[in-house]
Amino acid sequence: MALLSRVADRVYWGARYIERAEDTARVLRAFGDLYVDFPVAAGLTWGPLVAITGEPPLTDDAGDRGEQAVLHRLIADRSHPGSIVSTIEFARENLRTTREVMPREAWQAINQLAQLSRDEATRAVGRRTRDWFLSRVIEISRRLDGVLESTMTRDAAWHMWRLGRLVERADMTTRVLGVRAAALLRSPLDGLDEVQWMGVLRSVSALQMYQRAVRGPIESSDVLRFLLFHEGFPRSVRSCLVGIQAEVLALPDPAGVIAQVGEVVAALDACDPDAHDGWAIDADMDRLQVAIADLDRAIIARFFTW
Amino acid sequence: MDERHGSDGRLRPSSVMLDQLLHDLGIRGLIERQRAAEAEIQTMGITFTVYSDGDNIDRAWPFDVIPRIIDGDEWNRVEAGLVQRLRALNAFIDDLYNDQLIITDGVFPAELLADSVNYRPECRGVHPAHGVWAHISGSDLVRHDDGEFYVLEDNLRVPSGVSYVLENRAVTKRVFPDLFERQSIRPVDNYTDELNRLLTSIAPHGRRDPQVAVLTPGVFNSAYFEHSFLAQRMGAELVEGDDLVVGPDDVVSMRTIEGLTPVDVIYRRIDDLFLDPEVFRSDSLIGVPGLMRAWRNGAVSIANAPGAGVADDKVVYAWVPDIIRYYMGEEPIIPNVPTWRCMYADERRHVLDNLRELVVKPANESGGYGIVIGDRADDATLRQCAAAIEADPRNWVAQPILALSTVPTIVSDDEVAPRHVDLRPFILTGQRSFVTPGGLTRVALPEGSLVVNSSQGGGSKDTWVVDVDRMDT
Repeated sequence: MALLSRVADRVYWGARYIERAEDTARVLRAFGDLYVDFPVAAGLTWGPLVAITGEPPLTDDAGDRGEQAVLHRLIADRSHPGSIVSTIEFARENLRTTREVMPREAWQAINQLAQLSRDEATRAVGRRTRDWFLSRVIEISRRLDGVLESTMTRDAAWHMWRLGRLVERADMTTRVLGVRAAALLRSPLDGLDEVQWMGVLRSVSALQMYQRAVRGPIESSDVLRFLLFHEGFPRSVRSCLVGIQAEVLALPDPAGVIAQVGEVVAALDACDPDAHDGWAIDADMDRLQVAIADLDRAIIARFFTW
Repeated sequence: MDERHGSDGRLRPSSVMLDQLLHDLGIRGLIERQRAAEAEIQTMGITFTVYSDGDNIDRAWPFDVIPRIIDGDEWNRVEAGLVQRLRALNAFIDDLYNDQLIITDGVFPAELLADSVNYRPECRGVHPAHGVWAHISGSDLVRHDDGEFYVLEDNLRVPSGVSYVLENRAVTKRVFPDLFERQSIRPVDNYTDELNRLLTSIAPHGRRDPQVAVLTPGVFNSAYFEHSFLAQRMGAELVEGDDLVVGPDDVVSMRTIEGLTPVDVIYRRIDDLFLDPEVFRSDSLIGVPGLMRAWRNGAVSIANAPGAGVADDKVVYAWVPDIIRYYMGEEPIIPNVPTWRCMYADERRHVLDNLRELVVKPANESGGYGIVIGDRADDATLRQCAAAIEADPRNWVAQPILALSTVPTIVSDDEVAPRHVDLRPFILTGQRSFVTPGGLTRVALPEGSLVVNSSQGGGSKDTWVVDVDRMDT
């Protein structure tokens, strides 16, 4: 049965929002880990993290107060569209309005997630339940995909869902790298470089897989190469793009969108993994993000617009 | 009157097993089950939407875990009565839009039709399949002191609530699995199959395997949950007005990612007046331009047919017993509540003289809005009500204040108390008829209250039609 354009739009965005919530949770969980490991003197602050939701970093971010402010913004702030609570509510609203094409269990999973977020997000700003909360968000988001994986027909709605997940994931990996670039700009090489890059890997749950694949020390160009180009790691930009291409090809009349996927691939290939300074990394990530935004526009124009 | 007891004051056999369980559970055990049910409702995402509720427009469905029980034998009669009633009402609608024999024969007054706000001249001359206009209807029943069910009103336009009948049952089954094993409770789950069969049967030109779509006003409508539920259960598309387009050849199509895909049958959940801005309200943003033309020309079937509402206003209601006699040649099986029609001077006089003892209702409002209950209203309200009746008599009817039956209901963490209930069964009418066993029981939660609408704080209960003779002993 053909998928309504309006429904396709909601499914795609439902997937993007839920992926955004999950990825933000991963980043915050990893950063919390890194933060407690860091000597206070190193001056690591939470402020720049706000940039992963596409906003300017918080500047007044020192100490415990800064930590609370940033985490409130990213986890529990209903007025911030990029916070975990907001993205979960958006995802739920999108699933609420596409229930006729999604398996019922998926709707139940998102309800559970929304319930969790309504009940617990505010407390999760503090340290005591934060890790537990973020882990639950990730788990339920993963369960949702598990439900779809095992119970959903591979129809257009399925491909649309996968497409939304992958576009958001690719975008998020570039944002995490962008935050690292910004940190390098703020305080260039400070002897804690390895720990910082380890934090980046953790932010996209890539540390263990990186270590198996690279087996060397953790340093900038290897990390960039892994997160940008590794074909087998599911959160690398390359791997996401391969997935995106396959999902788009499974949808009707994909030619225009496929051309735009090609543009993103070109932007990826132009990235320089051996760039060490913040400016270069930042510029590369910017170009990638612009190309991904264009891809998003091409998807909207082709599938959702009349 | 507590429904669990017969006129002899004894517990009805159909209620024995539930009564025993409630006794065994005690209030604490019962509250535990109530909490389990509420958690289940949250997780299953059973919601309804409240207008103007700001932040949380999508609310958890209010549900009381103690079921309401109706004897199978009693129900058989109610069911037969509803089938009869809807056959007659459909014959009436078809007649009004075609030959108007009932008017020629002097049974139904012509001036009523002339005044009707729900009569759509645009529908004249149309003959929908099987002569049926109101395919899906919900009649509200109440049970009086005398133990008898009465029809309070018919909803022939876009009656809602059936999804909650099915969901309430799903929740109850999980909360009281023990009771379902041991007695014979009629299942309700096949409603959506019956609905699907009905919608398929009215496809234009007898088309097989037609594309069915449920037309919703959108995600903010109070019944959106239900629209989505029904589409899901039938494997139909859920569409909004914007998703549909009518071509110059009258073909109605949906906008999909593969282009335009034709639609054969539309189960519309939006009011007549919003269906087609070319014919009705031109400011409707939720309708489909050209839809009426496509329907009149037989390119698409619409359920319920536009114009079906002509037979469900509260003034026509007063004629339903005559309508049944006229078309069916039978006496009505379920009685109407006695109704005074303010359009007639003598009946209006009676109403105005006895406002305190009556329930006064506007003829064309739904959802319990505008109703004045005489013995609870203050003097100012009654004066306003009288003035409104004088100003527009045809728009008002009045009925005696009924002593509605009650059912035990959880009212706080440590109390179960009797609360008034009504019942909305859903009736499908096509080539054949189908009635949901039981229906949606709505309960007025404040003590003594008669207002059961969920939009006004009413609750709901699962309704069991229990066949006693087939129960294990």
